[in-house]
Amino acid sequence: MTPIYSLRDVVKSRVAEGAGFRLRIPKVDILPREHVALVGHSGCGKSTLLDMLALVLHPDDAACFEMRTGEGAEALDVHQLWQRKGQNRLSLLRKQYIGYVLQQGGLLPYLTVRENIELPRQLLGLPEDDTVNSISRVMGIHRQLDKLPGLLSAGERQRVAFARALAHRPKILLADEPTASLDPITARKIMGVVMELVKGLDITLIIASHDWAHVYKMDLRSLHQEAEVVEGGKIYESTFHD
Amino acid sequence: MSQFRNIFMLSLRDYTHEWRMSGCFVLALASVLAPMMILFGLKFGIVNSMLAELIGNPANREIRSVGSGRFSEDWFRQMAARDEVAFVIPRTRALAATIQLKSDRAGRIQSTELMATGEGDPLLQRVGAVPKGFGQVILSDASARKLKVAAGDRIDGSLARQFRGKRERVHLPLEVLAVAPPEVTTRQVAFVSLPLLLASEAFKDGRAVPELDWSGEQSGDEAREYPAFRLYARSIDAVEGLVDELQAAGVNVKARIAEIRSVQSIDRNLSIIFWIIAAVGAIGFSFSLGASLWANVDRKHKELSILRLIGFQGGKIILFPVLQSLYTGLLGWLLAVLMYLLAEQSINRLLAPSLGIDQVICYLLPEHFFWALALTLGVAATAAVLGGIRASSIEPSDGLRDL
Repeated sequence: MTPIYSLRDVVKSRVAEGAGFRLRIPKVDILPREHVALVGHSGCGKSTLLDMLALVLHPDDAACFEMRTGEGAEALDVHQLWQRKGQNRLSLLRKQYIGYVLQQGGLLPYLTVRENIELPRQLLGLPEDDTVNSISRVMGIHRQLDKLPGLLSAGERQRVAFARALAHRPKILLADEPTASLDPITARKIMGVVMELVKGLDITLIIASHDWAHVYKMDLRSLHQEAEVVEGGKIYESTFHD
Repeated sequence: MSQFRNIFMLSLRDYTHEWRMSGCFVLALASVLAPMMILFGLKFGIVNSMLAELIGNPANREIRSVGSGRFSEDWFRQMAARDEVAFVIPRTRALAATIQLKSDRAGRIQSTELMATGEGDPLLQRVGAVPKGFGQVILSDASARKLKVAAGDRIDGSLARQFRGKRERVHLPLEVLAVAPPEVTTRQVAFVSLPLLLASEAFKDGRAVPELDWSGEQSGDEAREYPAFRLYARSIDAVEGLVDELQAAGVNVKARIAEIRSVQSIDRNLSIIFWIIAAVGAIGFSFSLGASLWANVDRKHKELSILRLIGFQGGKIILFPVLQSLYTGLLGWLLAVLMYLLAEQSINRLLAPSLGIDQVICYLLPEHFFWALALTLGVAATAAVLGGIRASSIEPSDGLRDL
């Protein structure tokens, strides 16, 4: 099976107040319909990796950073697209193939729940069918459709965020600590529903989490993080591997 | 295309959702723009009309011959045909140009100066009437007051002469066509047609005036010559050249050269001052509007990042803050126009009577409103485009996790 993401020696550095941080991915392949968890403590580079996978952050260097839009599809050289400033191509890919759920927020406060969920579909010119209603029912937010996000609880907002990320039937769902700000019971409920949906829709899921126990229960393949201090203590290097 | 429609819709929704913030921007814009418009209204109102009055005051454009000369009818025709000459008319000897006026309402006969006038006389431009023939007269304010008459009244004019040893007097019924306002002259003057002035001169010289049945010696057919003239330059700028030319031709003339120079320098200096104020105001306005709209783009950073995450293209996302800036520009301009119109009405109503001028103090032409709108929208769009380009050039992942 051809991987949907194929990363070799991808590097992203950040310098903040003198202390350097470097994220390095020696080798990661993610297969279609795989469910992957990025596990590690806060600040270890999970969000950075997710952002790169979501095509909103460019890698500093990569021996290989390829993405496929489906099984058997041609591999797209994401690293090269960034270098050639192929922003429009990248936004087309994001629009069509990727759904992204942030830890919190990310809903447009001036649109109703329904309009938020519809937006990615509108952008793709998808027909107005029952998708929004059915996904809202599954996510348990069908009674909130006409409210503004500001009136919802944190848990409801994350449900809406998932509904929006899935409404346009993406191939890939990325989620960055989507339940970190929720109580454990709500978190488990939401993730249970999401897992069902993801399995039913043949979606590749990549989720970042600092909660190990949680990940094992959900039966995900996990990529663990390791950190070491290199270059004489100047740089904190974080790597992900199976 | 659907992305444009989407962005338009989203920017409008966000703008109305944040109506308090939008209102603040609109108020801030209007409160800078409105005073500028009022300042300009005053410049175009009172200052311009005061200047126009100074520049247009006929007395400043008048060139009068001094002493007695000989000016032929040809000379008058040539002068009248020139571009820089607005009006020229002969004067006669002062003794010949005197008439006795009497009205039913005033007991005393008033000895009054006769002055010829005609179509386009700048001195009487605000009267709007021209005496014609031998029966009409426009009285100066002083004269009308002494005679206690107003426009439409009838008065009696009489001329006297010593002719062949006898004292003779002729009477002439006159209709007061109009009364000239006080600023025209403070003397007692009766403005009449040139034929009437010439008839008066002829009578006093002992010549016959057949049109009025006044007897006397028959006058010959020799070409008429006049001893003096009253001339008005087209503009105050033409006065000095005409004076130089007439004096070079040996004509002794009088004009208000010194006053003209001071009016010209007032005009120039006031214009410079106003353009400086206008430039400083426009620059300050641009900076304050630009700064607030630029800051607004920064504030929207997270939402713009989210739109890009969903898949809006970076280049098109710039439209979002630009459109919102244009909404602010348009609404702020509308509010400023309202505030200005209110101020204009109040200024004109409250101040005009106390200043005793009949023209408005504060006003703007329609194109001034248009220019204000163009400046506002131009600055608004520029600031937002600059801010938007910066926002869209940053990676979309930046700002996603701002709280």
